[in-house]
Order: sequence, then C-alpha cells, then structure tokens
Amino acid sequence: MTPRDMSIATAAEAPREWRRFRYPHSLVSYGSWLIAFTVIVYSIEYLEIPLDRVLGMFGRMGEILANRYYPVDIDYIMDVDYIGSVVETIQMAYLGALFGLLITVPLAWFAAYNMTPSRLFVYPGARFLSMSCRAVHETIWTILFVSILGFGMLPGVLALTLFSAGFAAKLFAEEIEAIDMGPVEAMWATGANLFQVMVFGVFPQVRVAFTGIGIYTWDVAFRAATVVGFFGAGGMGWYLKRNVMQIETERVAAIILSIIVLVLISELISAWARNVVMKMK
Amino acid sequence: MAVLQVSDLYARYSAKGPDILKGISFDVEGDDFFAIIGPSGAGKSTLIRCINRLVTPTSGRIVFDGQEMTALSGKDLRRARRDIGMIFQEFNLINRMSVMDNVLSGRLGYTGNLRTLFRAFPRDDIDHALRLLDRVGLSDHVDKRADELSGGQRQRVGIARALMQNPKLMLLDEPTSALDPKISREIMGLVKTMAQELNVPCLCNIHDVKLAMEFCNKIIGLQDGVTMFSGPTEQMNEATLDEIYAMEVL
Repeated sequence: MTPRDMSIATAAEAPREWRRFRYPHSLVSYGSWLIAFTVIVYSIEYLEIPLDRVLGMFGRMGEILANRYYPVDIDYIMDVDYIGSVVETIQMAYLGALFGLLITVPLAWFAAYNMTPSRLFVYPGARFLSMSCRAVHETIWTILFVSILGFGMLPGVLALTLFSAGFAAKLFAEEIEAIDMGPVEAMWATGANLFQVMVFGVFPQVRVAFTGIGIYTWDVAFRAATVVGFFGAGGMGWYLKRNVMQIETERVAAIILSIIVLVLISELISAWARNVVMKMK
Repeated sequence: MAVLQVSDLYARYSAKGPDILKGISFDVEGDDFFAIIGPSGAGKSTLIRCINRLVTPTSGRIVFDGQEMTALSGKDLRRARRDIGMIFQEFNLINRMSVMDNVLSGRLGYTGNLRTLFRAFPRDDIDHALRLLDRVGLSDHVDKRADELSGGQRQRVGIARALMQNPKLMLLDEPTSALDPKISREIMGLVKTMAQELNVPCLCNIHDVKLAMEFCNKIIGLQDGVTMFSGPTEQMNEATLDEIYAMEVL
C-alpha cells in the first residue's frame, strides 16, 4: 500500500459530516433569504402594484413609441442651435469633471485614513465634505445653484464640479488607502516630510488608478450634464425640457436618440482610453 | 563613544496591548556590524523601527549621535532620520519609478518641496547617485523601472538609496529574507564592504544565524522581547542559539 492509498483508507474509516452552513449560521443564511422574499411580496401588496398591468405594459409601450415617437425628427437635432447646445453640454461636462478632479486630489488625500495629515480633525472634515457632495443629487445641486446664480452654464458647471468631486474623492481615497505602505515607510525613513512622502511614496502607486477614475468621472459627468440643463443650467437638457413641455414627442425622441449616441461615443472613447492606461501599468 | 546607545527600551503597539520589547539595552560603536537575531515575533523589527522612530517606544532611551531620539518630533525628527539609512526586507522601492529616481529619493530629507514635485535634484546628488549605482553594480540599469529588476538587484538599489543619505548609521531589517542563499551572501558582503569603506556602523535584523555569525562582530539575541544573549560573535555557541530559538521549535 502506498502512503497515498493509506491516507484515503484512513479517511474512509472516519466519515464525517460536512455542511456548508451549520447552525446558527444556517439560520442566518436561510432566514435572510426568507426575509428578503417576504419584504418583496409585502411591498408589492402594500403599494398595490397591479402585476397584470405590468405585463400588459409592453404592448402599449410599443404602440406609443410607434405612433407618437416615430418618425424621429432627425432634422431637429441637425439644427445649428441644437448642435451648439451639444457642444455646450460637452464643455460643461469637461469643466465640471476637470474642476472636480482638481478638488479631488487634496480632498482624497485628506480623506484617506492612512495618509491624512490629521486623523482627529482633517480626516473627518474631508470625509464629511466628500460625503455631502455625494449625498445631494446633481439635479438638486443644479436647482440650488440656478436659484442662486440664475440660468446659464455657470450653475451647471458648479453642480457638476461638486458631483464629480464627491464621488471621485471617495474612489480615489479608497485607492490611497489600499496602497502598499512599504515605500511610504521607506520615504519616512529618509527624513522626508508628508508632502514628499505623498509625491514619492503614494502618487506613483495611485497614478494609474487616478487616470482611470478621471476617465470614469468624465463619463458620469457627461451623462449628468445632459440632465442638468433640464433645470435651467444650459446645454441640451434645456431643449429636452422645452419639447417635453410642448409635447413635441418626435423631437423628444430625436433628442433622446442623440443623447444615447453621444453617451455611446463617450463610453467607447473612455473604454479605449482606459485600455491605453492599463497598458501603461 | 558609541554612535547609538539604547537603554531599557519598552514598546507596545496599543495602550493595553502586550509589551513587544521588554527592557532592551545595547550600544553600537563606530565600526560595529551589529546583528539582532531571534525567532519570528521576537520584536526584532519593532526594535529596529524604534531607532528611527517609525515606531514610537513607550519608555526607555535611544541616544543617537548625541541626541535623544525619543524626545524628537516634527522637523527635528526628520533631520535626525536623514542621518540613518534603512534597508528593508521587501526592498520597499517605488516600483513605478526608475532606479535613478529611487536612489535619488534618499536625498528627500535635503530637498525642498518644489524640487521634490518636479524631481529636480541638484547636480551633486545626481553625480553621487551615479557613483553609488556604479559601485553597487547597477550602472547598466539606471533608467530601468524598479519593478523590472530581480530581487538581488532591487536590494542593491535599496542599498544605494540608503547610502545616498550619507548616513551615520545603517539599519537593516531582514535585508536577505526575500533572497536566495547565494544572493543573500553577496548582498551582505556588499553592505559590509560599503559600510567599512564609508565608516558607517550597521544594525542588522537577521533571521539566518549562519549569515549573522559570518558577517557580524556583535550579536544580540531576542526572544519574546527579552535579551537572551548580548556580546561578541565569538561568545555565541550552540547552547545559547538553542535557547534563543527554543520557542520556535515548540
């Protein structure tokens, strides 16, 4: 008998029961499924969602799309004024994402637990700031800034700046928290100060991640930019609102189509850029 | 006059945690190659990090170059750290930067923030870095990225970075643990030669007792934060070694 056969034989002599979930783990695991399911059923009951109408929805949707939103008014989106608003939207998204990212660098540094200048004061402050930016939806920021500054591009850019800074700072701070602390320790050991440790020990490690977050921020800011116009911040959103109000459904369809195409193009460019960055390592 | 005097050093990581170091004392003289040996978890890394205050000890004295290290903070601490070079087990190089930038980073303590941002090091530093790279045998790899090098080459960059500081003391934290036996011996030999040449005493954590006996003139043996042996290498014998490493066998 080889040693291998023997070990199998020994194992066979003492058969033991094995289950993935054992009590009380099993109770928690199956119980949470049960609770999730119950809440779904209860919510549907409580909200009186008529399931039969949900099923009948698709026929009506097809009908409405075919009758009211078709043919799409392509001429409308080829108009010089409209194309001007598209350019405006792109500029707004670009400025918003750029300013947002500029704010992100110090904000994320201060909000990263391992590198913050002070864990007692700066860290909670920076965390609170970035959380506040995220807590308020970009459309609400727009409404707020429009009511303060009036209609136009500026409130849109500001709203997008806060919006971009909010979530980019969170992502970037998480990247900083996940770095290898070895080089950081080595930089401290040379007698470097906090700024120098950041430049040499931290930024080289998060540079690629930051570029990735930057591209993603642009992506999201551009999508948000198409909407902020709806609340008076300029760009194509304004055209969308006007035509929705006037029930110009064929033009609305054209605008939605143009948004889909633009976001698609922007995502393709982002995907390509991300690929390039990945290869840079 | 000893370069470094450590007396009655205690350290722990949290207020209620156990003591990692329990009253360690030793002196490092100007031409010493001082080894700290002991099993994993004995407190070797903590001890060496207390010297340049990467870890703050709870009590005890560390007198380096006439200054009380435990009393320093802020700018004074950074100035004191400039005089202590450190070499790490995992090399701790900046992988995405070139070999040259890694070596130059040893001068950060002498460089202003603006120069740091643009990596604009003075001409003298660059000459010094090139000389050191030549000396550690990496003159063909100056512009390579640090992560393109082999383990032994990376540790050579680490040595050059530490020497860039013109240190008055070198701390070595398990410099050979990530390397194979042949390269380990080469690296230890290189450190020893350079240290003797530049007249820098070394304090070295080392797991490999054979290497410690071969390269070091004094040894301190730790076990669970307590000194089990302290003296010249010649006084070390099998019985003492067994005692120091007894915990590991269990």
